[in-house]
Amino acid sequence: MIEVKGLSHSFRVGKKGKETEVPVLKELSLKAKDGEIVSIVGRSGSGKSTLLHILAGFLQPDTGRVLVDGTDLTAMNEAQRAAFRLERFGFVFQNFQLMPGLTAFENIELPLTLKGVPAPERKRKVEELMESTGLAAIRGHYPNELSGGQQQRVGIARALITEPPVIFADEPTGSLDSETEQDILNLILSLNRKYGITFVIITHDDEVAAIANRQYRMHDGELTEGGLRHVV
Amino acid sequence: MSFKDQIAFVRQHIRRNRLRVFMTVLAATMGTAFLIVLASVGFGLQKTIKDDILSNQMVTQIEVYSEDMTDAKTDAMKKIGHVETVVHRKQLVPMALGELEGHTGSMNTYFTDFKDEQASGFKLAEGRFPEKPGEVIVGSQFAEQLIDESKELEEGEELATYEGKVIGQTFTFSFEGRNDENASAAWPFTIVGVKEAPGKDWAFDGYLYLDESFMEEMESAYAAASKDRSEEEDMPFTNSQVNVYADDLANVKSITQALKDDGYAVYSVSEEIEQIDVFFLALKAGLIFVGTIAILIASIGIFNTMTMAVTERTREIGVMKALGAGPKLIQRLFLMESAWIGLVGTVIAVVISYGVSFAANAVLPIIVDAALGGETGDSFEVTFSVIPWQLVLIASAISLTVAMISGWRPARKATKTDVIGALRHEL
Ligand SMILES: Nc1ncnc2c1ncn2[C@@H]1O[C@H](COP(=O)(O)OP(=O)(O)OP(=O)(O)O)[C@@H](O)[C@H]1O
Ligand SMILES: [Mg+2]
Repeated sequence: MIEVKGLSHSFRVGKKGKETEVPVLKELSLKAKDGEIVSIVGRSGSGKSTLLHILAGFLQPDTGRVLVDGTDLTAMNEAQRAAFRLERFGFVFQNFQLMPGLTAFENIELPLTLKGVPAPERKRKVEELMESTGLAAIRGHYPNELSGGQQQRVGIARALITEPPVIFADEPTGSLDSETEQDILNLILSLNRKYGITFVIITHDDEVAAIANRQYRMHDGELTEGGLRHVV
Repeated sequence: MSFKDQIAFVRQHIRRNRLRVFMTVLAATMGTAFLIVLASVGFGLQKTIKDDILSNQMVTQIEVYSEDMTDAKTDAMKKIGHVETVVHRKQLVPMALGELEGHTGSMNTYFTDFKDEQASGFKLAEGRFPEKPGEVIVGSQFAEQLIDESKELEEGEELATYEGKVIGQTFTFSFEGRNDENASAAWPFTIVGVKEAPGKDWAFDGYLYLDESFMEEMESAYAAASKDRSEEEDMPFTNSQVNVYADDLANVKSITQALKDDGYAVYSVSEEIEQIDVFFLALKAGLIFVGTIAILIASIGIFNTMTMAVTERTREIGVMKALGAGPKLIQRLFLMESAWIGLVGTVIAVVISYGVSFAANAVLPIIVDAALGGETGDSFEVTFSVIPWQLVLIASAISLTVAMISGWRPARKATKTDVIGALRHEL
């Protein structure tokens, strides 16, 4: 369970000495219960990504707290947050962010390698997951030998491999056509049902937001709960 | 991340940038090889000079002086740590004469223990050591002091010294003016061995070496023969000369100190050797310093390569960090890469250096000899280059340290990579 309380953040922009403060997130609160799919919709520049970066511990907010199962992420140092991410979070990015020098198999394996899981166990887990997500045929392919949809499947598999309780996804279908988008959304839904993984999905697309159990709308750095559509 | 996986990761990075890494390794190799070869000349010259000094055996010798030397004292010296042997020579004080086939000369005589002498490096040019009473050894120039005084000398003519072979000859030894009928103090001695000539050309060795077991007999005979001469009563029969020999040059110093502590007056050449060592230490340090500059120049290459590697991989570093790689791990991965460059460069450099050193030692003497018109002769034995393991160790340490230091800043930069900025980074 993720709980955010009184979160504010502003960026300093402009030349040195003549900086101006741009408030991006304003006193917002958010909740994501275990096993929920939470969506955050909003227009470009409304601050969605910034919120996700704070939730994931990439960025320290000016004020406010981020509690993950009661642990305050904002109270940790960088190394602690990294270790926490490795243990608890998975990430899916709009532009996939696969390692260009690693094959599909090795990309999916990477979080396990970082965790120090022994090689035979890694191999078994990755093979299992690639089989169940329909990636077995492309295991030896490098990212530049894969289509966008395939790359995102690899990206999702990489987020999934450590069986994290939470996966954050920033525009996971943003670079994909609508048919492939539907594939990816179905995959997310099935993973959510099968493993009870909590998803926090950021999107500007109401159709994507529609798969969520809990919907937030971001507008100029302010967050309101309740979406346009009901949960299907 | 396990160490094995870290290595695999670094190797994957290196493989993707083979050419650039190769060039950097090449620079590191050249710098390190330059350092080793340069310093090896210092080691080579030191070896040449030291070998030269060591070859005449004197360096492990410690001369000991004492008013009242006794065998008990010299036996005690033998028990000092690292003492190879102690030679206690007793030089005959009264004048003695030798006579061989009409040639006579005064005898400079030593009583000594040939076992100890042999242990200290006393070598014979020909013959053997005495086995029976009456057998003696003489110095290489013994014959030169036996002169036929019956021959009248023309002006400018040289003294008529004994020209024949000395080995196997028997001569008469007697105390000057004490060879009367009632107390005979004369002995026939057979020369069974000739001592090797001293290493230095200016050293004169016309000594007569007698076994010390003979001293007592000679002393009492001498005393009997000079009963009624009181004027020389105070003169001792012999003077002691004691040389202590260390098992190794390195131990001369400690033995010298131990002897001084026991109250002896002591002289050894270890101090001179020490000065030579100090000089070469300074020379080698200077050469290593110059060589280090070459490595520092190579380090600019490593710094450059690593900085580029970090910049190029900004996005990848961001992904790693996002997935949960800590700053320490990121830093380690990049440090390992620069260490790898340094390590491979060093290993190749060591191999190359040994090759260059070997070639220099094989070829340079021939070239120098040819340049000097073949006049250097047999004694021309110069080692140009020696690479002891210490030099390899020093060079490796310098090279690896420099590689690590030059990789340090890029690695720090990698750890400071901002995840959000890196993920936005376009390739
Ligand atoms: N590092 C930064 N420095 C200064 N301003 C920033 C920085 N990052 C984001 N901003 C500003 O914060 C605001 C929110 O940006 P953010 O990336 O969170 O928007 P977003 O909702 O994710 O938009 P999009 O849908 O286009 O991705 C923008 O106005 C942006 O200019
Ligand atoms: Mg965004």
